Amino acid sequence: MSTRDVTLDHVSIRFGQHTAVNNALLNIAGGEFFSFLGPSGCGKTTLLRCISGFIEPTEGRVLIGGKDMKRVGPNKRPTALIFQNLALFPLMSVADNIAFPLEVRGVGRKERRKRADELLDLIALPGVGDKKVYELSGGQRQRVAIARALAVEPDILLLDEPLSALDLKLRQHMRTELRAIQQRVGLTFIYITHDQGEALTMSDRVAVMNAGVIEQIDDPLTIYEKPRTPFVASFVGETNSIPGKVVSQSGFDVSLDTALGRLVGRSAGGRQFASGQDVVLFVRPEQLMLDPGGKIAATVVKEEFEGSQRHLFLEAGNAALRVSRVGGGAELMAPGLAVKLNFDPGRSSVMPAAGA
Amino acid sequence: MSAPATSGRSFAVFYSILFFAFLFGPLLIMTVTAFNSSSFPRVTPWECFTTEWFSVLINNDRLMQGLVTSIFIGIGVVAISVPVGLAGALALSEINPALRSALYTVLITPVLIPGVVLGISTIVFWGNLGRSLGGGAQDLFFNGIFLTIVGQVTFISAYAMLIFSARLQRFDPTLTEAALDLGATPGQAFRRILLPFLRPAIGSAAFLTLLASFENYNTTVFTILADNTFTTALASKIRYGTDPSLSALAVIIIAVTLIGAITHEAYTRRREAILGGAAARSALYTNPLGRIVTHPATIFALLVVLAGFAVWKGSQHEAAECKMQIMDEKRANQERLLEEQRLRMQQQPQNAPQAPAQPGTPPAGTNPSPFGGAFGNVAPGASAPAPATPAPPATTNPSPFGGAFGNVAPGATPAPAAPQPPPQPPADANPSPFGGAFKNIAPAP
Amino acid sequence: MERIKGIFGDFVGRHGLGVAIYISASVLVWVIVLIALPQVAMLDYSFRHNLPPAQIGGPEDVYTISNYSYFLFGNGESFNALDTGVLFKTLFAAAIVTFIDILICYPIAFILAHSATGVAARMMVLGLIVPFWVNEILRAFAFRVIFGATGLVNGIGMGMGLWDTPVDFIRADVALYSSLTYSYILLMVFPIYNAVEALDRNQIEAAQDMGAPWWRVHWRIVLPVAKPGIASGATIVFMLTAGALAAPQIIGGPSNLWFTQLVYQWFNDASNWQRGAAYATILLGSCLTFVLLLMKVFRVPIGAIGR
Ligand SMILES: Nc1ncnc2c1ncn2[C@@H]1O[C@H](COP(=O)(O)OP(=O)(O)OP(=O)(O)O)[C@@H](O)[C@H]1O
Ligand SMILES: [Mg+2]
Repeated sequence: MSTRDVTLDHVSIRFGQHTAVNNALLNIAGGEFFSFLGPSGCGKTTLLRCISGFIEPTEGRVLIGGKDMKRVGPNKRPTALIFQNLALFPLMSVADNIAFPLEVRGVGRKERRKRADELLDLIALPGVGDKKVYELSGGQRQRVAIARALAVEPDILLLDEPLSALDLKLRQHMRTELRAIQQRVGLTFIYITHDQGEALTMSDRVAVMNAGVIEQIDDPLTIYEKPRTPFVASFVGETNSIPGKVVSQSGFDVSLDTALGRLVGRSAGGRQFASGQDVVLFVRPEQLMLDPGGKIAATVVKEEFEGSQRHLFLEAGNAALRVSRVGGGAELMAPGLAVKLNFDPGRSSVMPAAGA
Repeated sequence: MSAPATSGRSFAVFYSILFFAFLFGPLLIMTVTAFNSSSFPRVTPWECFTTEWFSVLINNDRLMQGLVTSIFIGIGVVAISVPVGLAGALALSEINPALRSALYTVLITPVLIPGVVLGISTIVFWGNLGRSLGGGAQDLFFNGIFLTIVGQVTFISAYAMLIFSARLQRFDPTLTEAALDLGATPGQAFRRILLPFLRPAIGSAAFLTLLASFENYNTTVFTILADNTFTTALASKIRYGTDPSLSALAVIIIAVTLIGAITHEAYTRRREAILGGAAARSALYTNPLGRIVTHPATIFALLVVLAGFAVWKGSQHEAAECKMQIMDEKRANQERLLEEQRLRMQQQPQNAPQAPAQPGTPPAGTNPSPFGGAFGNVAPGASAPAPATPAPPATTNPSPFGGAFGNVAPGATPAPAAPQPPPQPPADANPSPFGGAFKNIAPAP
Repeated sequence: MERIKGIFGDFVGRHGLGVAIYISASVLVWVIVLIALPQVAMLDYSFRHNLPPAQIGGPEDVYTISNYSYFLFGNGESFNALDTGVLFKTLFAAAIVTFIDILICYPIAFILAHSATGVAARMMVLGLIVPFWVNEILRAFAFRVIFGATGLVNGIGMGMGLWDTPVDFIRADVALYSSLTYSYILLMVFPIYNAVEALDRNQIEAAQDMGAPWWRVHWRIVLPVAKPGIASGATIVFMLTAGALAAPQIIGGPSNLWFTQLVYQWFNDASNWQRGAAYATILLGSCLTFVLLLMKVFRVPIGAIGR
């Protein structure tokens, strides 16, 4: 077990009646890029503040490097937090900001400055040390915040939606940048976001949270391809959800009756279903294919063109379906056109209907 | 749509002009009277342009003595009430909301309690404490300067607290958390992050508390006991008669205020321009000469030099000749009036004894005081109707500050002649309780 | 006790032990030694006899309500109309002055918040502050210069032949009320300004757009927003006016006393501290009652004051 491991052992956090985090149980390996993904207000920040020591868990334990962190203050933990709003000190220069962790540890002025300049080189911003914080651009501030956190020489870097304030181009650029920095320094990164694109591109593993509960922890591909709960399936990426009743199951293949006729899908997580049970079949729009021999009959409502992709909106047996196809090429389909659809059962998931 | 908008606009302009006329009118009038040689502050009739009232002001020992005391007290009050107010603001910002409103109510009450009540409760409390402790405590707790500092701190701290609270509301608490997360101890985070953030507020709080301490009358007049601050000296001077040196004082205060305000304005504008990035674009700020000219220090120096020049120019001014002329006119006028009066008295001898007994309503010509009527209320028990029969001072209760009555004691010294001898009111002939009242306007013997 | 310990623990956690001690000690000393105990001492004192120092603490030093009964009945059995009259006049006059200040300051606060921009607004703020920096005593003095028997108003009035003997504005208390109104303008403008400034300009425009006349816009949209500011300003102005001492002493009419002057006389002229304390208590009690009553009527919390 390395000093860079983080373990959440049945952690619950409550504010009065409200449960912000419910029974979180996970283990993050040293050097891993780990993301928490979830909608606004699901308890991501709360969990992060608990790891960095600003909140004590109501129940359970937080272990860092195998050591219980109970009653260890934020300034004593080997973590560094990058705040949602960065929290750079506005009255200090960039170099003073970066050197602040060294200053409070009593490092001399010369040494501090040297280290600050090294860190500025690391984040590819040499020479801005004497500027004031407000003289930097958003992306530069972002990187300064990272440099300041690295100056602590933490084992674990915690990042709370650090890119949310940036514009789209810069956000995409910073994703690669962050991942590169992480690989250079080899620290454990715990990253929080509500943007699935960020979580999927950068992370080794992703935990999807909903209303205080961690619903699934997996690598990005599995999260996307094999969601385990209806929430994960619909929160990560687009999906078509088709309700139905189980007819029979053989192995992973579940056959079910839906408004579109009898379909076959793959049981998510290998669950066993009773026949007659209410379930939902999830199929990604890019997994639905136009196929003249397909079993599903549908009518075109409209087709939208969006550059690299085009989206086909269909109606089938009172349900709305959506198909994504490669952008260029053929003419847009006219409304009212009758088409047939098909999909690979292996790329779909069948889950119990919510509330069942 | 545009018609009501423009009529609203012109109403706003019209109303603003009226409002500020009301606000500045009195100051303007006072300023004008400071330069009129008439020994009572007035605009009409204009006599001579003079700057002598400024030197009269500076040579008033009692006021200058009070100024020293006031500065001493002011420093003490700032030194205590700024940290106390800061503590109050911090406590308010961090305790839970239920307790917060209770604490806020308690801390804000000293601002609402009438100043006289604060003054009285302060001397009563510390007097009791001093009596029961005895010894050295007795001396300290009956010391006017100590009591005044304590009494003023009680409510001036609340002013400081309000300033700090306003600033604290804009503090981002994640900055402190970031500092802690980066390894700072709570104490280090306080010193390095929160205190620097509050620094501008500390400056303005210090300034405001100093001003409030300096200005205060209602509390101080009780707590200062036998001593005098600038403001209490000023008040007793005005209560017992007056001359335009007070207007001169107002002129000085206004001038200092304006210089301060303009410098501050220059400072904020420059800061805004630099922070907002406008500085880099504006020609004024990129040009080195423009940068120097717009620097607040330059503007401040310029204004001070200007004021200094005005003072120098004023001190060169000689009003003696003009005043001689006015004096002659007055004397002639006075002789004529005396003559008339003598004639009248010959005709109606029975009215004579009553005339001098009513200084409140003298014939306007003989007594140039514009405040004749105002003197009534300074005489203890004379025309004042209330407390039916206040006991004569310092008889039943030898209070520790019997001496404080020096300035109100009736008939202590007969009034010596005023500098510009106005036709004396009949005080000499009739030693009324008002005799002593004029003591303060006379130059120290 | 547990609770205080908890709060103290919070302070320690947040700022460290030294700062926690500084905050707690300062606030406790302020609240207990400076605010609470002196008021208690004054209240206690007001129930005692005026004794020479030798007898203090002796057998004669017992509680009495004579100081309060004097306020109501004087020395004799009859009603002390004089002193009670002064109290009511003071409260009434302070209320009038406060009301006039509201009328004068509301428009200027609104203009400052919503019409004036940039340099004009800054000059207006400056213009409001400068008169306030001139000493309170001098402000009263200015009104004596204006309203005195040979002051500016009489000079102009007589010069224009409007009246031919000087009008005694001081005896009529015109000078006093003007001066009090003038003195606390700033303390009325800023709370109202702060409240009105928060109002979204679009709301006013939307109301105008729907055809509301200007007075209805103010009555329905602006005034409700301004209310806490008005309450805050009015409370401060009322308390300061009712508690004013310098202005009544300087320009009060000779036969019209302000209640604070009675307190002053008992203390300094009559050397009866006990009765002075009783009168101070009466002043404090009646002012607070009056203000709290009004706040109740207008449903404004005390927390709005000073904001
Ligand atoms: N100090 C607190 N006291 C009471 N409730 C809190 C506190 N902090 C957070 N909460 C509640 O806990 C829940 C989770 O909040 P949290 O800040 O962790 O959300 P989040 O997932 O970070 O959301 P976002 O993406 O918007 O930042 C919210 O419902 C919030 O109201
Ligand atoms: Mg968050």
